[in-house]
Amino acid sequence: MVTINTLKRGFKKGLETIWILSKVIIPIYMIVTVLKHTPALEYVALVFSPVMQLFGLPGEAAIVLVLGGLINIYAAIGAIMSLTLTAKQITVLAVMISFAHNLLVETAVSTRVGVSAKLIVGFRLLLAVVGGLIINLVL
Amino acid sequence: MFDTSLIEILKEGLNGGLSSVFGIALIVMPLMIFLEVARDMSLLDLLSKWTRPLTKALGINESSALPLAIGLIFGLAYGAGVIIQSANEGEMDDKSLILVSMFLACCHAVIEDTLLFVPVGANGWLLLGIRLVVAFVITALISKYVNFDAMKDGETECE
Repeated sequence: MVTINTLKRGFKKGLETIWILSKVIIPIYMIVTVLKHTPALEYVALVFSPVMQLFGLPGEAAIVLVLGGLINIYAAIGAIMSLTLTAKQITVLAVMISFAHNLLVETAVSTRVGVSAKLIVGFRLLLAVVGGLIINLVL
Repeated sequence: MFDTSLIEILKEGLNGGLSSVFGIALIVMPLMIFLEVARDMSLLDLLSKWTRPLTKALGINESSALPLAIGLIFGLAYGAGVIIQSANEGEMDDKSLILVSMFLACCHAVIEDTLLFVPVGANGWLLLGIRLVVAFVITALISKYVNFDAMKDGETECE
């Protein structure tokens, strides 16, 4: 049954999520912004551009994939916002990150159900690559 | 080392970060309230009716429909919780257990995850569509071509 408590719980969860999200997005946005003013980001871009080209992405977008994969979607969003990307590139990154994010924590949750960690991580990375390639081709 | 002063750069970063959070907060807040209302209105029975064709197509048993629906809407942790309960009650066979877990590991919390990327500039429908379709196709292929009895024998010997 829907009561005032339902709304209160939703409001509380909303605030919690926004708080967690701020703690991740703001520092990452700041760090990437600082890196943008140093040669570091250019170096990353140079190293990763051959691989990222397969997905129609600039080399520095590798940062988004690494942050999203290891930390979570919020971290990836912080990095996306601080880079200059087209709508298509953001959609490609969104698809890839949706398949493979927060892998350390979520794999731990999945293995509790009894599926092998290697299988889960391999499967998710595969989907991220396949999804990224498809979106880049069709858009 | 820097082309402008560090203070200016940090200010730019803080402003950008704050406005990103604000844009997302506008979506997250109503969404969380909506999800709680949906839960208390027991919309889940309805949802598992929608996921039933999915379970059929994946070749898994019907009692997997509820964990699948919960995981897809509310997220991996909730889905896993329900899977563990169902497994303990013996409602799900090994094949269903593995396939539902795989599917949810790749595709979960689809409403929240999709809406998070929309204010950033992604195409939400495309994101949602490709996530569901790709996860479904690959899980279906595994369901068809992987020998689950062999997998099970490799992991547990006592049964």
